[in-house]
Amino acid sequence: MFIPGMLLLGACCCEKDVVVAPPPPPPPPPQVELGDIFFDFDKSELRAEAVQQLQKNFDWMKQNPAGTLIIEGHCDERGTNEYNMALGERRANAAKDYMINIGADPAKMQTVSYGEERPFALGHDEAAWQQNRRAHFVGQGR
Amino acid sequence: MNSHGTMIGFSKVIISAALLLLAGILLNPLAAIAVEQGEYIAIRKQGTGKIAIVLDRTSAKGKTESAWAQSLDAIVKDGLVFSDLFSILPPPSNIRAEGKDKAVNFSALSSVGSEVYAGGSVSKKSGKVHLDMEVYDTFGSKLLLKKSYTGSEAELRSMGHAFCADLIEMLTGKKSYFGSKIVFVSSKTGNKEIYQCDFDGQGVQQLTNFRSISLTPVFSPDGRYLAYTSYTSGRPTLYVKNLADNTIASVVKNGVSVDPGWRNTGEVATTLSFEGDQEIYLVRPDGSITRRITSSRGIDVSPTFSPDGSRMAFVSARNGLPQIFIQDMQTGAVKRLTYSGRYNTQPSWSPGGDKIAYTTWEKSGEINIFVINADGSGLKRLTSGARENESPSWSPDGSMIVFTSNRQGGKRLYVMGSNGENQRRLLQMEGEQMQPSWSLFR
Repeated sequence: MFIPGMLLLGACCCEKDVVVAPPPPPPPPPQVELGDIFFDFDKSELRAEAVQQLQKNFDWMKQNPAGTLIIEGHCDERGTNEYNMALGERRANAAKDYMINIGADPAKMQTVSYGEERPFALGHDEAAWQQNRRAHFVGQGR
Repeated sequence: MNSHGTMIGFSKVIISAALLLLAGILLNPLAAIAVEQGEYIAIRKQGTGKIAIVLDRTSAKGKTESAWAQSLDAIVKDGLVFSDLFSILPPPSNIRAEGKDKAVNFSALSSVGSEVYAGGSVSKKSGKVHLDMEVYDTFGSKLLLKKSYTGSEAELRSMGHAFCADLIEMLTGKKSYFGSKIVFVSSKTGNKEIYQCDFDGQGVQQLTNFRSISLTPVFSPDGRYLAYTSYTSGRPTLYVKNLADNTIASVVKNGVSVDPGWRNTGEVATTLSFEGDQEIYLVRPDGSITRRITSSRGIDVSPTFSPDGSRMAFVSARNGLPQIFIQDMQTGAVKRLTYSGRYNTQPSWSPGGDKIAYTTWEKSGEINIFVINADGSGLKRLTSGARENESPSWSPDGSMIVFTSNRQGGKRLYVMGSNGENQRRLLQMEGEQMQPSWSLFR
């Protein structure tokens, strides 16, 4: 009969394997903030008024054929962080799918979900939450 | 650190041979007192509350040794207090009989209501700290445990905790969490980085310095790997770090990676979305994908496994708002586990296999931790009236749960007994702390 936990006791307290930071990333290409669309609670379906912003994004892509569009998906602080990471991606994908439908090149769009990690508004009420349930569009390069 | 117990009936030759054969692995000396251990557990009635113990001061000769004794006394006492299993009685003044042998005065111990007595001595042997401990059943005046611990001065804490672990295992018949670690996320530096601390909140260590967003760390059951999600590549990606050689593998796929959970030492499950929908996949520690587990429209996240790996509890939005489901890994059959509460997430399967802890976002706005039996019966709320309580994770022995709460302002780590008793703050640290995960064997 062995006590594996005890065997590790001595070793554990001496470990100092702090991970070294990776080298700093290269400077990002020029960015242009294109605006936001907003979502209902726990939803990733596009609202009617989202169409205008998505058309604006598409126009930017046509004017900047070498550029790429970053689509960020965000959630409000309520609900669970891990679940919201997935929900944020569904919001970003809903925007991306619509833009593909109106003719945007999927190869020039990238989605990233921030879940509730990067709130835009820092309040703790519905006004702030509504602003944080969004997809945010950033044009990159020209 | 080294430890040896009484080996009545074993010759030195046998011990040496066994030690050689085991190549440095320690022989468990408790086997020699297994009879007493069984007897003690048998005579102790179920649910009689805390064990009344007298912790005697460790005796020592010399200034250095006395300082060690004082440290050890504090470490052992804090360790036993943390367990919440004991009521610790002050030693009566006449605890040791007069004379040379200084035998333990059992009638004095019984008169103060002590069930168990623990005491010992510390000495210096070849430059090392040598701790001899004895534990007696006070009523039967019977020796329950006699064991020696040897280590360097820097290992006093692990020596004291090794004794606590032996004592608790002997009295309860279960392994305890001494020596285990808790990994968590903290915003101390302004970025979310991964940290670890000992089971009792001591010895905080920063494990990452990515200056990005790092989330949901979890050790593999054998303590060899640390899985986590990080934005170092620009989007949330699963990384598996081999703690032996510090190599890091990742899942190279488009889309997100969310909230890993180990199935066993060789497989970690996580949500990936490279096929479009957010589904749960099994991934090897080298980052390669074994297979997809779920296939439902909508979000599937936060896998946690029964100890034998045969069943997975997870969060799914397949019926609308998130609820917890259980999937049989062999047949793929899925059963909904939670029906009470409209928003249930963050399942954590108990090490005993019978219970699942999770969080409910309640109508009141509170988020509370519940436990439910894996068969859906026995629902019990563990927190209430204390704002948002999230991310439950079981101690390796199943006796405690670590969780996040903002009951005192920002998000901090707390611990409680597995029935919700004795909720208290785990550690004092700058910034917010969240997503704790209690390791099994480390």
